[in-house]
Amino acid sequence: MVKQALLLVLLGGIFAVFYLVTEDLSELYNNFGKTYFQLNGLLETGSRNLVTAIYLDYRLFDSFFEAGILLVAVAGIIWISKHDLNEKNAQFMLDRYKTPDLFITFSRIVYPMMLVFGFYVIINGHLSPGGGFQGGAIVATAILILYYIDHDRETNIKQIVTIEKLVFFLIVLVASLSLLTRGEFFTNFMPLDSSVASKAIYLVILNILIGFKVALGLWTIFTAFLREGR
Amino acid sequence: MDGATMIEWTAYALQGILILLAIAIVLHKNNGTIIILIASFSLVTASLYIINNAPDVAIAEIAIGSAIIPLIYVISISRQREFIVLDRAMDEFIFIGDELAGIGYVLLHRLAEYYHLELNITNDPGLCSLDEAMDRMLCEKTNVDLIVAKDEETGKYVFKGKRSSTLMKKLQQMTQPFDNIEVILFKDSEFGG
Repeated sequence: MVKQALLLVLLGGIFAVFYLVTEDLSELYNNFGKTYFQLNGLLETGSRNLVTAIYLDYRLFDSFFEAGILLVAVAGIIWISKHDLNEKNAQFMLDRYKTPDLFITFSRIVYPMMLVFGFYVIINGHLSPGGGFQGGAIVATAILILYYIDHDRETNIKQIVTIEKLVFFLIVLVASLSLLTRGEFFTNFMPLDSSVASKAIYLVILNILIGFKVALGLWTIFTAFLREGR
Repeated sequence: MDGATMIEWTAYALQGILILLAIAIVLHKNNGTIIILIASFSLVTASLYIINNAPDVAIAEIAIGSAIIPLIYVISISRQREFIVLDRAMDEFIFIGDELAGIGYVLLHRLAEYYHLELNITNDPGLCSLDEAMDRMLCEKTNVDLIVAKDEETGKYVFKGKRSSTLMKKLQQMTQPFDNIEVILFKDSEFGG
């Protein structure tokens, strides 16, 4: 009873503090950032999609740690899933008798389309909604469907994890290239006065790298779950 | 009714559906239905994102929330639901002719019924041809839950499984009255090892 009363008082206190803090929120609402990105976003970064402009140029430092979160999550899942990295994938053949034929046939039709759509979302990330993370997730889903088509498939997880780490380093390297050309970290390596089209080269490269990294990371998570068949 | 108010009311309706779906997810008992409900929850959330002019977030929500997460749940739940038995004895203990009718089968069937599991008995030649010393590794590294073997010297049937499984404890209890059945439990490897 006392505990519950204390909890209620605590919640009330938190709410009161929250209310006091948000009272002068109107000062925080302004259009400075929005208008700035609208006017200068395309010219400064070469990206028609302003979300990509922010996460690959203005705030690349943040995205770098976001990519790191997935790396840490994969490491944690592999550690919890109690399996040796060197071991090949456990056999999926026991499932062959359960997956419906209709599902397998339909997956064969859908698989290439999903792969192509995933690559489209990755490569077109600076022009249309989407980008490395979203496209990578779509590609990873396509790879997961592959496991339903081909049951005896074996995956070397150690290789995938190594490639993922290498790609993470490549992302950091490409992001740091701007130190040589512009004299500062984590921005576009093309000079500021170059054309929009040449600035897009950097965006495409980084989107492809992030897409690969996300797809490989999610692939590792799937395989860890698939092997955990007990 | 013009376009703007129409979109506004659609957003209200979608938010109402979201609340209903959340309550349904909490209250439902059937795992398969819950997975479908979670996937539709993500779809409704994605449409709300699109109404609020955030197509990038909507794509991520659809890819993660309604494709990857339900598939991971499907994998985990389908793995949990079956009890995989590797039949190495290959005599009348489980199969009589082509029918599943032996005394061992009756026992295992009773166990599977008790825990609402699907019994999956296999005598896959690839797994059966492995050395008997590999049994412990087989239980640990693959999804085989139980190995049925026959001791050639004493003529006893041997059930081998993991010590940590509650199913094996129940099986041990059930097989106590039978003199010709022996249960061997393997110790689990260290966590993370």
